[in-house]
Amino acid sequence: MAVAAAIACRLLRLRAAGAGGHWRRLRGAGLPRGFLQPASAGEDAAQWRRVAHFTFQPDPEPLEYVIFGEDVAFGGVFRCTVGLRDKYGKDRVFNTPLCEQGIVGFGIGIAVTGATAIAEIQFADYIFPAFDQIVNEAAKYRYRSGDLFNCGSLTIRAPWGCVGHGAVYHSQSPEAFFAHCPGIKVVVPRSPFQAKGLLLSCIEDKNPCIFFEPKILYRAAVEQVPVEPYNIPLSQAEVIQEGSDVTLVAWGTQVHVIREVASMAQEKLGVSCEVIDLRTIIPWDVDTVCKSVIKTGRLLVSHEAPLTGGFASEISSTVQEECFLNLEAPISRVCGYDTPFPHVFEPFYIPDKWKCYDALRKMINY
Amino acid sequence: MAYCSCGGLGFGGWLYLRIWITFIGTCSTSVLPAASLRSPDLSTGLGTKQHPQRQQQRFSSLDDKPQFPGASAEFIDKLEFIQPNVISGIPIYRVMDRQGQIINPSEDPNLPQEKVLKFYKSMTLLNTMDRILYESQRQGRISFYMTNYGEEGTHVGSAAALDNTDLVFGQYREAGVLMYRDYPLELFMAQCYGNVSDLGKGRQMPVHYGCKERHFVTISSPLATQIPQAVGAAYAAKRANANRVVICYFGEGAASEGDAHAGFNFAATLECPIIFFCRNNGYAISTPTSEQYRGDGIAARGPGYGIMSIRVDGNDVFAVYNATKEARRRAVAENQPFLIEAMTYRIGHHSTSDDSSAYRSVDEVNYWDKQDHPISRLRHYLQSRGWWDDEQEKDWRKQSRKKVMEAFEQAERKPKPNFSLLFSDVYQEMPAQLRKQQESLARHLQTYGEHYPLDHFEK
Repeated sequence: MAVAAAIACRLLRLRAAGAGGHWRRLRGAGLPRGFLQPASAGEDAAQWRRVAHFTFQPDPEPLEYVIFGEDVAFGGVFRCTVGLRDKYGKDRVFNTPLCEQGIVGFGIGIAVTGATAIAEIQFADYIFPAFDQIVNEAAKYRYRSGDLFNCGSLTIRAPWGCVGHGAVYHSQSPEAFFAHCPGIKVVVPRSPFQAKGLLLSCIEDKNPCIFFEPKILYRAAVEQVPVEPYNIPLSQAEVIQEGSDVTLVAWGTQVHVIREVASMAQEKLGVSCEVIDLRTIIPWDVDTVCKSVIKTGRLLVSHEAPLTGGFASEISSTVQEECFLNLEAPISRVCGYDTPFPHVFEPFYIPDKWKCYDALRKMINY
Repeated sequence: MAYCSCGGLGFGGWLYLRIWITFIGTCSTSVLPAASLRSPDLSTGLGTKQHPQRQQQRFSSLDDKPQFPGASAEFIDKLEFIQPNVISGIPIYRVMDRQGQIINPSEDPNLPQEKVLKFYKSMTLLNTMDRILYESQRQGRISFYMTNYGEEGTHVGSAAALDNTDLVFGQYREAGVLMYRDYPLELFMAQCYGNVSDLGKGRQMPVHYGCKERHFVTISSPLATQIPQAVGAAYAAKRANANRVVICYFGEGAASEGDAHAGFNFAATLECPIIFFCRNNGYAISTPTSEQYRGDGIAARGPGYGIMSIRVDGNDVFAVYNATKEARRRAVAENQPFLIEAMTYRIGHHSTSDDSSAYRSVDEVNYWDKQDHPISRLRHYLQSRGWWDDEQEKDWRKQSRKKVMEAFEQAERKPKPNFSLLFSDVYQEMPAQLRKQQESLARHLQTYGEHYPLDHFEK
């Protein structure tokens, strides 16, 4: 558990804020896209330190937790596992050969014995070789064996989503591929505080989970995070801002975009938006979203992943089934285009606040 | 590896390579002491596990030796490609000849009569069950079946060499392992019929057995997916100091899958106590081995990963037993993987959906059935020891057939599980949306139930 907590907090850099308190102050609040702070601007670089949550945790947890993947041992390409090997030992924190199908298959095998496996895929873009192991094996292990066997103690983590320059193979958001797979859970946090609670829940959950970590937020997002472990429940969406005129739904980085759109709408149009972070893609919290749409009558869903077959289509389809007579306007989806994720064209590709604002405006005027 | 040292294959090199191959080991990947950049010492690596991690060589620009982190080898100034050795490949270890006579008495495991009889009865009971269940598919009683004809020796010989708690990951043609572990006929049948007694709750096609109690992980259809999983399980067993080995069975066709490569590489780099057991039975459905690979089978791949490897006569139950026993002992003691390629022949069709006369001759099949069958070879052995005779054979055939028929008739009579079991175990807890779907089916059946085979399902 401390391992898990440590990993969760490794997701971001931490400035030691001096002694005292069980809170570690982390840089800034979750930031909208494009607002990346230059590192150490105007700050004493010596004060920047690695997250060291585990040093503040008691260490009674069972010794079966292991974390592994490509380059995990030295700390990981996003520094999520820095220091863990020294603290927990090389049999618990280790590199694997470069082979995603092996990483996930191996992780499933560990989980089958009851031990907890945290498998890292270096980029979500590279998760596809493991697709068979995830969809045909992990997701179906419990069902096909009549609950004789399961791999519930497997969690797969992968950096996810656009980062400004990632292009085709370092920017993908593949949650929709996995949404179509009963038996696994897919979770996307929007912030450091959310990340820790959701990741701990995924690790403890008795079902195989995929935890996508918005990579742009590794650097950009800074927040107060409690040192002790805590859980945020899965399959529960969060209404982060209440409103009465439009429901905006997103997950991960895009939550910050729609939050900004909500302020723009209030300021320029006098429109009150209800902002929902879905958090868990499957099984998703239908009730919270529907309850909101019944209240507002309008729904806008936004994600970076391409429009066609993206998860917004599932939300849209379910909401129109459940809330048809409450709808004042067609459900709006503001998503990436149906193209691979481009490099230099990224600013045009992404569903930014202007596109979301424009779609919202059309819905209001419908 | 050895290839560099012998510098290609003239006849001398050929001989050298053959001797080297008999004891295929990991010595060339064993760590050289930091100060030494000499050629691998062939005598030290055999049989002992060297330190797993290749240490950084002490860098010295004064020595004209290779400094590359990626290989420990000498330079050579002659351009020569290594010839893959497929003409005379890795030799096949056997204990009995085709007539069941021990060839080299020092290799005889000298197992007690009771144990060898258990081998024989497991293999023959499996064979009897196969005949009856194959027939039952032909008669439309079960939807599908796969027989194990000709490969019973690979199952029983290996299962007997393991501890009962060693975890088994199989492919689909290893029912003899379960048979040896006393999985009841009732449960074999229950799974094939998918009836209320099926531990798998009727979710999978026949022969997808699983048994937690007997440490046999439920079979899944995708091939080779079990291989990296077995490696992970072995890693966990190692961490738990469980003194357990994991055995992973697969066919020579499945060994072509990427998952096989992944599993081998992970097992070696992560030092896992696992036995990879490849049943090379000559065919992957209709694809003969000549179209499956061009190298020297599966055993020759092991050393490429740094894995101790051996090839055995899969129709010789004692050879399989000996190899597995030794592999188990060392895998647990040394935390390293072992690869056993058991050569055998698939006498039956791939499955009830296959008619193998479309791609192989009846003569070829008959040869194996009549001249080199694991059951007959063991029977000859038993008879020559005076542990079995024709009278007992007759009795046992009758008895085993009766047992199978009884279990079969019982399984036929049982209903399938309640339809609501369609929905459980997707997750540990049932999600709200899925519960809604379950309720929706229940309502649908209230109105349209007559169009569904509800009578065959438990209420």
